[in-house]
Amino acid sequence: MSSTDAQQPISICGLTKRYGPLTALNNLNLDVGHGEVLGFLGLNGAGKTTTIRLLLDLLRPTSGKVFIFGHDCWAESLAARARIGYLPGELGLYPDLTGLEVLDFLAGLNRQPVDKRHRQQLCDRLELPPPDLRRRLREYSTGMKRKLGLVQAFQADPPLLILDEPTEGLDPLMQESIYELLADVKRRGRTVFMSSHVLSEVERVCDRIALLRQGELVLLSGVQESRRLAPRRVRVIFTEDVSADAQLPPGHERVEATPRQWRLNVAGPLGPLLGVLAGLPVKDLEVQEGRLEDVVLKYYREGKP
Amino acid sequence: MTGPFLLLQLSLKRARMLLLATGLLLAAFQMLLVVIAGSIQGEFEQLASLLPDAVRSLLGPSLASVMSFGGIVCLGYFHPGIVSGLLALTIALATLPASEVETGFADLILARPLARHWIITRTIVLVLLAVSLMLAVMMAGTWSGLVMFASPKAPWPSLRIVGSLALNLGLLLLCWGGIATAFGAACRRGVAGATTGLLALAAFLLDYAGRLWPPAEKFAWLSPFRYFVPFDLVMGSPLPVENLVVLWAVAMTGFVVAYLVFSQRDISH
Repeated sequence: MSSTDAQQPISICGLTKRYGPLTALNNLNLDVGHGEVLGFLGLNGAGKTTTIRLLLDLLRPTSGKVFIFGHDCWAESLAARARIGYLPGELGLYPDLTGLEVLDFLAGLNRQPVDKRHRQQLCDRLELPPPDLRRRLREYSTGMKRKLGLVQAFQADPPLLILDEPTEGLDPLMQESIYELLADVKRRGRTVFMSSHVLSEVERVCDRIALLRQGELVLLSGVQESRRLAPRRVRVIFTEDVSADAQLPPGHERVEATPRQWRLNVAGPLGPLLGVLAGLPVKDLEVQEGRLEDVVLKYYREGKP
Repeated sequence: MTGPFLLLQLSLKRARMLLLATGLLLAAFQMLLVVIAGSIQGEFEQLASLLPDAVRSLLGPSLASVMSFGGIVCLGYFHPGIVSGLLALTIALATLPASEVETGFADLILARPLARHWIITRTIVLVLLAVSLMLAVMMAGTWSGLVMFASPKAPWPSLRIVGSLALNLGLLLLCWGGIATAFGAACRRGVAGATTGLLALAAFLLDYAGRLWPPAEKFAWLSPFRYFVPFDLVMGSPLPVENLVVLWAVAMTGFVVAYLVFSQRDISH
């Protein structure tokens, strides 16, 4: 690892992008560490793609700075981009080129030569056999184009991968392959910055999430910690009929109450609930951990948990 | 240097069929003109009398030169249809950056360690190569036509005249290539192409009006077509260096503007 590669893979300081009166991104501060997989979340128009395009020097910021492995994204743009593998949300590929021509062309634009064996392994993993690579892109399905996009992003084995919705358009088996691939690059110390709308995917592959809402960072947290922000779902089954009038502690929400069963959302510790249930004829108690989805959706709607 | 070279190679590869087809058509047209000129040998004056008055007054003293064997052979270098076609080809190539931004291809290129200015440099080289190739093919067509179809006794146009016409036409195309590159660096391809095309049409009409209507003459210097003087060249006049300088300067200004605009703009589609 060179001295520059020892620097933080991504360091964003006060990044703002305005289009006239519209603020697409407002004062974003974010660091991404080595070997980390960061899920970048937000509704459409929240500023995810704007951030990614700013990291790649495709957009110029209104204010703020971004450093990629210590290189200023604009003053030392080439050095920064030499360390990035990028998968765009929409692949702008010429339909008259073959898959192999695209991969060779994009590999040639890198500073380091691409290891053909590594590329072959990627193609095997993503089920892009040589006959498919020799076909023109106009004959490719959406999924095949996505796979080709992934190969071009990973083929130079860059230390930082920026992926805009990597599994969009892929079937469940291929999604599984991508998750394994991401786990593999993470094991090898690569950093991944990925945007996604698939929360189960984020929950599975990401270490941390950064959530944007209307151009502002409203949540930056580990996936496990974020999940803890969600209320647990509790189902209580009684042996005899009970009244639904029992007073619940603060942070407890009764979602459904029948004489023999309650469904509750519990934010915080379960101890106070157990105190309430102690005097009741409880037959069974089911507790489901909070889901990341519940937290994220709440942030999407309200900007807070 | 590998990256920019690959970019140029890819662009040439993608444009090769268009260039090949256009080149073949131009060469064939040049040869056809030689055949036509040979077939109306001795009847040029009669043919000139059939021309509309507006065209006769536009041609002025060059009428006799244009309506001659050499004039007809050289017609391809200033025929409005050919010039329009070559302008369209030049504009299409010069607005390639706009197309690459729109399709998202620029995202993939510029996410790599490739400086933005190479996209404009590639475009300029592509325009230069395409224009040079088209003119070379036209000249080859003229020469081949003369060798194959013209009588050795016919008054062949001199190499100097054909060369001057090709050079003047080449710089006119480069001038519009520069303007189109500037628009292509800033706008969407459709807007860039349409704007350059309309500007070219307006400039052509301004020059035409300036030749026929004295009040328009005051503004005709603004038109790049004013510096394209095929009728004078056919008459044997030397190609004015200042005309070449003006066309070259406009082209260079367009290219510089393109570099500046493209280096500053947001790449978004």
